[in-house]
Amino acid sequence: MPSALRFARVCRRFGRLAVLGGVSGSVAAGEALLVTGRNGSGKSTLLRCLAGLLAPDSGEIELREGEDAAPLDAAGRRRRIGLVAPDLAFYGELTAAENLAFFCRLRGFGRERGDELLRRVELPPDRLAAALSSGMRQRLRWAWALLHRPRLLLLDEPFQNLDAAGVAIAHRLLAEHLAPGPGAPPGLAVIANPVPLDIGETGSVAARLDLGA
Amino acid sequence: MSRPASTWAREAAAVFAKEWRSELRTRYALNTLALFAINTLVVVSASLGPLGAAPGRATETLPVLLWLILLFAAAAGLPRAFVHEEETQTATALRLAATPSALFCGKLAYSASVLAALEALVAPLFLAVMNLDVPRPGLLVATLAAGGFGLAAGSTLVAAIIAQARGQGTLFAVLSFPVLLPLLLLAVELTRAAFAGGVPGGPEGPVSQGGAGVAMVQLLLYDGAVTTAGLMLFPVVWNP
Repeated sequence: MPSALRFARVCRRFGRLAVLGGVSGSVAAGEALLVTGRNGSGKSTLLRCLAGLLAPDSGEIELREGEDAAPLDAAGRRRRIGLVAPDLAFYGELTAAENLAFFCRLRGFGRERGDELLRRVELPPDRLAAALSSGMRQRLRWAWALLHRPRLLLLDEPFQNLDAAGVAIAHRLLAEHLAPGPGAPPGLAVIANPVPLDIGETGSVAARLDLGA
Repeated sequence: MSRPASTWAREAAAVFAKEWRSELRTRYALNTLALFAINTLVVVSASLGPLGAAPGRATETLPVLLWLILLFAAAAGLPRAFVHEEETQTATALRLAATPSALFCGKLAYSASVLAALEALVAPLFLAVMNLDVPRPGLLVATLAAGGFGLAAGSTLVAAIIAQARGQGTLFAVLSFPVLLPLLLLAVELTRAAFAGGVPGGPEGPVSQGGAGVAMVQLLLYDGAVTTAGLMLFPVVWNP
């Protein structure tokens, strides 16, 4: 059963500052929505609202895991999404593998899933997270986001700090998420970036939402 | 969102194990608590010690000092339980991956185990430097266990509440005072009973009204109430 995300008239203020003023959009399974806009236009805030990390002041957010399924509440969304974001950090005193093993245990997977994803993003498992370069940390975020095979990927500046090889890996992971092949349900993604983005051969950006220039 | 008990327990155990793994790498809480406790103990023993404390007053005053040492040592290290997650931006990943009540219990179990380790270090040293005999060692151990757990539960609850606020140090002191005061009064009275071998305290003291058993029940009820409050409040303060 295909998943779908729909949000309508989402508003969010921080004190007197209105960051989101009634944003609407939708994404179907196998598709990506590209959200662009200048710095401070509310892209990250929108993604945090969609993730269930911020409560919108008004508006509706519905993530359904099937056409006839009831929409998930914020707690349900938090568990079903994968997030890549600049402010997502890991335990510096633990290695990359230990970080993923901890979250595997929280999510109910064996640590093999984390090891597999570390190989996919080509990260050394035994390096402390504090000793990873910014590009390596971004690769770790990608691995972390995909750990539990989420239906919805929320990607905030997902190619930031990645080198050419890292960008190619990220493109591949995104393509596999959106079209995983026979037997697995297609995922969906919302990608936020300040400028229009080339997502390589993924070719599945179904819609674009400009939050303002 | 309800979770099966085995899943919940697995998450709490994962948080507990992660906390200890991180702690053994950084030694932040252990070093802070032990350093603070031993420094305070040395100051107390040098100024009041076996030569300075009158035998008749030792069982009245020394329990207060023991619990003050434990309180301030805990206050120096335990508020970081959640503040550190916010400061290092690891809270976002935790919010997305962990069931809040399981996270709270994992953190509480870690804080309680750190305090138990601290008590295992400080209490024998305290008895030695103060040259105290303990006629009721079982009561002392039970008081330290129940009191230490209550101290950890109260500190973890307050730490969770202040984690996303500004002025966390001040807030911790202000909020923890009313939360921890009943615990400290009961723990001090029970420790006096353990040191004195009987049921001490003035006519208004909680121990004198119903004996050490009643005070212990009150202490255990306190532990249960604070833990329950934490389990109910934490999901609200942790998530938007």
